[in-house]
Amino acid sequence: MADKPIPGIQKCIVILWPSFLTAVIASGLFFSAFDPDDLFPFGADLEISRLGIYSVGFLLFWLIAAASGIGTLYFAITNCMRKNPDSRDK
Amino acid sequence: MTNRNAPGADGPAKARPSDEQVEQSLYAKQEKIYPREVHGLYASLRVLGVFGLLGIYYLLPWLQWDGHQAVLFDLPARKFHIFFITLWPQDFIYLAALLIIAGLTLFFVTALVGRVWCGYACPQTVWTEAFLWIERKVEGNRMQQQKLDASPMNARKLRIKVTKHFLWLSFSAWTGLTFVGYFSPILDLGQRMLAFELGPWETFWIIFYGLATYGNAGWMREQVCKYMCPYARFQSAMFDMNTLIISYLPARGEPRGSRKRSADAAVLGLGDCIDCTMCVQVCPTGIDIRDGLQYECIACSACIDACDHVMDKMGYEKGLIKYTTENSMEGKNTQIIRPRMVIYTIILLTIMSTFVYSVATRIALGLDVIRDRNSLYRETDEGLIENVYILKILNMDDSAHTYKLGVQGIPGVELHMDVATIRVPAGDVMDFPARLRADESSLEARSSTVIFNLEATDDSALQVQQDARFLGPS
Repeated sequence: MADKPIPGIQKCIVILWPSFLTAVIASGLFFSAFDPDDLFPFGADLEISRLGIYSVGFLLFWLIAAASGIGTLYFAITNCMRKNPDSRDK
Repeated sequence: MTNRNAPGADGPAKARPSDEQVEQSLYAKQEKIYPREVHGLYASLRVLGVFGLLGIYYLLPWLQWDGHQAVLFDLPARKFHIFFITLWPQDFIYLAALLIIAGLTLFFVTALVGRVWCGYACPQTVWTEAFLWIERKVEGNRMQQQKLDASPMNARKLRIKVTKHFLWLSFSAWTGLTFVGYFSPILDLGQRMLAFELGPWETFWIIFYGLATYGNAGWMREQVCKYMCPYARFQSAMFDMNTLIISYLPARGEPRGSRKRSADAAVLGLGDCIDCTMCVQVCPTGIDIRDGLQYECIACSACIDACDHVMDKMGYEKGLIKYTTENSMEGKNTQIIRPRMVIYTIILLTIMSTFVYSVATRIALGLDVIRDRNSLYRETDEGLIENVYILKILNMDDSAHTYKLGVQGIPGVELHMDVATIRVPAGDVMDFPARLRADESSLEARSSTVIFNLEATDDSALQVQQDARFLGPS
């Protein structure tokens, strides 16, 4: 592992970018299998368009995938610190 | 992370970066790279790529086809129009297959000619090139840009920076609008934008995609290739000794050194490289190609153009940096047909032909049978057992059809519908309630299978079958 700490911006990238790609695939699969109108039988009453439902669905998938990414990064970094305690201060 | 097959490892005196150094540089803070403008054969090819690909991107949504937008991913209607093909959610498999074909094609091309995708066709390269062009028009050449950035903020610098970002953001906004135009009819979208009547989500996605373009092409640039691109990380796995790469020829160039144009290099004991660093200055990823093949190299061949120009000026032969293969550099023949290429070709052709066959034989009719969830069954006045279903009929054809419905599976089963004819307009999905009635004596079990058979009256090829459960008393 690198001696230098990972800059914050790159931490954001490694979390947000793969989870973005995952969310694209996940929402593509999910919404091709389920029609939002079938999920919400009274969808007409909801104050949200189909585009809105797709968007919210995508953003939720992104959030979930990003949460997993944060977990992975956190465990990877703390594991690394345990093995190599000096890297904490750098 | 370095390329396993990096050539020139034993060539130039300058050591190639170790794995640790590369790994550290992956996490290092970035210095802004100012690529010098370059002219030449490959630069012209890239400009051609930029105009061709951006032209397609920005113009395609405006193209009409048969009364609808030629390429429209109509999410609200759950239909994808791609010229004469209309894809439905159940056709998602075709899109997945297309993606697999695209992926394998990329593998094939990479094994054959290296990272040409990165250098000429990748959206990141193409938009970065457009943004660099705007930057040069506003801020001037490489030297002027560096000088401007080093100077303290003043009225002139502010004016130039504001102009640049205004142009970048306008271009990005146009890009975002075009992107949303692939999902929402762009003519209508444009009109509503001019009237400030865009929906909240359309506005959100225009801004989102616009800012992504602005950030990636204006600010991140080569860092996208280095930190975000999965292809850049695994492409070296497709490389072998016969893959086309861009390389400096150390045997010819070394020892490098500056000299007068009139000087005789042989007398000075120098190679052909005059160490002018033009190849470094033009590099959009800021590497020195003379250090050997590096994973940062996006094979844009800017260094070839730059070096050829210098070689011309010096009166030396062109091609000190050139497209070559490792075999060719070692004086061996380059093999185009090799096991790797044969395997990629076979896999690719198999998937492509399966894809074409299944699209060509696709039946443009879908039938979903949904049992009424409210009751298991009902006994009619005549003492028959009745089950109620909703038939979802999806006409994926481009003309309206009338269908006839048949039911099999239970002896003497009767079909009752509220409508006299089942007619579905082109590209539409309609629900039809249907009731099946059967005599209890003909039911063998509590649950029997019935088969609905739907066929277009004017085209017997349009035929589908769907199973359903028929429930009765035990």
